[in-house]
Amino acid sequence: MKLTEEHIAYIIKDIQYRGVVTDGIQEELIDHICTATENEMLQGARFIDAYHYVLKSFGNTSGLRATQHQTLQSENKTAKIMLKNYLTIALRNLRKYKFYSFINILGLSVGVALCLIIALFVVNELRYDRHHEKADRIYRVKSEIIFGGNHFNMIFTPAPLAAALTEEIPEVEAAVHFRQRGSYLVKRETENIKESNVVWAGKDFFKIFTVPILEGNVDEILNEPNTMAISQRAAKKFFPDESALGQTLILDNTWNFKITGVYDDMPANSHFHFDFILAMEGLDEAKQSFWLSNNFQTYMLLHEGADANVVETKLIQLFARHAESDFAQIFGEDMTLEKFKETGNKVEYALQPLLDIHLKSDLYGEFEPGFSIAYVYMFVAIALFILVIACINFMNLSTARSANRAKEVGIRKVMGSYRSHLVRQFLSESVLLSFFSFMLAVGLAYMLLPLFNNLSGRSLFIPFNNLSFYAILFAGAVITGLLAGTYPSFFLSAFKPVNVLKGQVSLGMKSGFIRSSLVVFQFAISIVLIIGTIAVISQLNYIQNKKIGFNKDQVIMVEDTYALGDQRLAYKNEILSNSIIVNGTFSGYLPVSGTWRGDNPWWADGKDYRQQENLVSLQNWTVDHDYIKTLDMKIIEGRDFSHEFPSDSTAVILNETAVKNFNFEGDPIGKKIATFTDRDFSPDKLETLTVIGVVENFHFESLKENIGSVMLFLSHRPQGNLSIRFQSQDTKAVIDLLETKWKEMAPGQPFTYSFLDDRFGNMYAAETRLGKVFAIFAGFAIIIACLGLFALTAFTAEQRTKEIGIRKVLGASVGSIVVLLSKEFTKLVLISFVLAAPFAWWSVSKWLEDYQYKTELGWTVFLIAGGIAISIALLTMSFQSIKAAIENPVKSLRSE
Amino acid sequence: MHSPELLKGTLQTIVLKVLKDHGKMYGYEITQRVKELSDDRILLTEGALYPTLHKLEAEGLLKTEIVNIGKRVRKYYNLTTPGKAEARERVTEFVDFIRTMGNVLQVELS
Repeated sequence: MKLTEEHIAYIIKDIQYRGVVTDGIQEELIDHICTATENEMLQGARFIDAYHYVLKSFGNTSGLRATQHQTLQSENKTAKIMLKNYLTIALRNLRKYKFYSFINILGLSVGVALCLIIALFVVNELRYDRHHEKADRIYRVKSEIIFGGNHFNMIFTPAPLAAALTEEIPEVEAAVHFRQRGSYLVKRETENIKESNVVWAGKDFFKIFTVPILEGNVDEILNEPNTMAISQRAAKKFFPDESALGQTLILDNTWNFKITGVYDDMPANSHFHFDFILAMEGLDEAKQSFWLSNNFQTYMLLHEGADANVVETKLIQLFARHAESDFAQIFGEDMTLEKFKETGNKVEYALQPLLDIHLKSDLYGEFEPGFSIAYVYMFVAIALFILVIACINFMNLSTARSANRAKEVGIRKVMGSYRSHLVRQFLSESVLLSFFSFMLAVGLAYMLLPLFNNLSGRSLFIPFNNLSFYAILFAGAVITGLLAGTYPSFFLSAFKPVNVLKGQVSLGMKSGFIRSSLVVFQFAISIVLIIGTIAVISQLNYIQNKKIGFNKDQVIMVEDTYALGDQRLAYKNEILSNSIIVNGTFSGYLPVSGTWRGDNPWWADGKDYRQQENLVSLQNWTVDHDYIKTLDMKIIEGRDFSHEFPSDSTAVILNETAVKNFNFEGDPIGKKIATFTDRDFSPDKLETLTVIGVVENFHFESLKENIGSVMLFLSHRPQGNLSIRFQSQDTKAVIDLLETKWKEMAPGQPFTYSFLDDRFGNMYAAETRLGKVFAIFAGFAIIIACLGLFALTAFTAEQRTKEIGIRKVLGASVGSIVVLLSKEFTKLVLISFVLAAPFAWWSVSKWLEDYQYKTELGWTVFLIAGGIAISIALLTMSFQSIKAAIENPVKSLRSE
Repeated sequence: MHSPELLKGTLQTIVLKVLKDHGKMYGYEITQRVKELSDDRILLTEGALYPTLHKLEAEGLLKTEIVNIGKRVRKYYNLTTPGKAEARERVTEFVDFIRTMGNVLQVELS
């Protein structure tokens, strides 16, 4: 017997009333009950009796519910469905609170993007030189020399060292030495190109380092004098359409070099990038057997399993053995290495692993400037901090909004959710959010990377075709999600349903101790970064404006004037005849790094040069008559060089430090100083110069260094750069003038120039870069922190709508309400300032310790940083609080 | 009537086998069919049947089909391909089990 429509409607309603409501299960049970009822009625029962009979067989209401519950449970036991459920609800929640989700995702993705970029950068730094297959067995010899008032930590070693290493130390498989002599003019036929990545190297270079050879035979490549290997880049430049192998290039218009090999371009993360490797066989300087002059960089490859410490000990013994006779020759028969050391001097060699060079070595003579491991650590720390700031936003917003979700938690618990279910629910929300952010972050990083490359001088890229990159991203997203979600999920799921549903938990703003400390933490980090930025900038300003002893502005330097040959002086005079040119001087020795340097010991004439303490090691700079005038240096005693005194060819001008080191008795003017004239250090061949003036100390190395001793003397054949002081705003005209004349007098030679102030600025490129990086990090950190603050204020204002309404009705002014809303967070920002300032002060002082000449970090710096942080925070909050304060109270009071 | 304790472990096997022999069925029909086959000695309770059905469905052994009949809808269950294999396996396993039980309990099974 079929049921009527009314019967079915009755059953549906009744079943629903009894609490069977779940989609899918409800219909199924209704059908079951209907069919069973029909069957009962077939046996003659009335509808209502049949229905109740069936219900009873189900166990009435509780039985029905139990069935529903068990069905749900058995369904949800499958992980897939459970996850799907969590995801659906998480998505709904994200969509429901668009504003907060947006803030969270935005903050997190900016943070993650920065982290990603920094991670790429750090990985790149750590991979330097790892492309060499034998990288872990390659070592470089470094030297520390203290002599004649100078202290060098450098990578230069004696010429015969490399050969001696291979012959005398069995652990050494091969050794190679390098010699750099600045840039060369390179030409094939007529047109010269200036090349700076040129090096002389021993023939084992290709056996030690992994540099793939494209053309030529490894065993023969650098064996003969006047042969060289060139990079593919260079080969394409000089021989665009043909093979470079066997061809000849002319260096500095004089020397012919035959190309015996073409090698692959050296990768970006290598600590050297040579385009021309000249065979050391052809370099006379490499053949000398003198052990006390250090001009060569020496690298060695150890046998497998060899102990570097043992090799180092043997190296020290080897040097002592060989250098003995040289010591005796210079300082007299009785001088030995031991005695040399007893007088406070030092010549010491040590090994340095190849893989340490880029990050842990900053020695005099590095092929290319490295990076500092300390900065790597700092970058990683900053990246993590920014990520933490972004995670804190999530935590704070989630816990702050807990009041809104407290009811949800209550209902869920009443309905039978375990705490673990809720924790999983909240965690899946945060993980989902973190996934969105990571996807966005990859896009952001992709856009920001060119900017960062520009800043860091690297060529990083996102490895889109690398599977492990995605795996790491995935893991990162999960970890970040868990990191951000753990605290809120435990916090939220801990609510007691009774209290929540009764409305007793007005959590939200009050339970905020942890939240407040997190805000303090965020702002403390931001403030430290701001102070760091200001400190770096103020040190840079200090450097730019410090009295450096010469005038770096409006000086242009024409380089490689040797290309002019004998026409040099004619060129200079030609240029000087123009009215915009003030003065000009020929000298390769200039007070910016990257120009010539030359060091030799001198002593005050009459003193015993065999007494160590009488020797003064100082920079020997050859200049011309116009040097001091052109560079605007100041003579503080005596006079400048002058054409009126022909005797000035044996005159010398010292700087203040040199005068002090020579320890003259009485007035330095008129005193004589002496040195050996030739390499043999024979006491018969001495040169003496007469001091005619003292020049005020000027900085010629970075301000990290103290000012060393310098002597200036006239050269009979001035050479090097032509530095020209001009007086014109129109630098273009100056360059044009110089170039036109150059082209006339030196056709076919490249005209290169630079400005003295640029070169000076380049010495601080690292600092400038650091300043920019800091500014960017600080900017992002504070933006993310403020995003969080923005949302928190919005939330507070929302929570206190009623309160604000009542206050306004009772006569509160807009101002007082804004203060009310901003007060608490302003307090937090102030606290974070108090916490951050000492730490920032400490770390900035640590950084400044590297500088011999440094800016004073006054309290104004901290005031400015604090001011910036507070005003940005206030600005952020004011938007929300003013919005809440000017709202019409009627609106907020009428609802509900 | 058999005790529900004994039935517990065999419920899935019963459902799978019944569906295998009979093709698509709805919940009530399954209870009736089992009742009939067991001469009223096995009565599947709804509280046990539906969770089992939903679980098997979630595991991908059953597929469902919803048919509108008048004012109400009826949900038919049928075996999926892996479900059929599973049914065969479960039955073999169970027969094996009974044989073992026979040995353990020292009784002759007809």
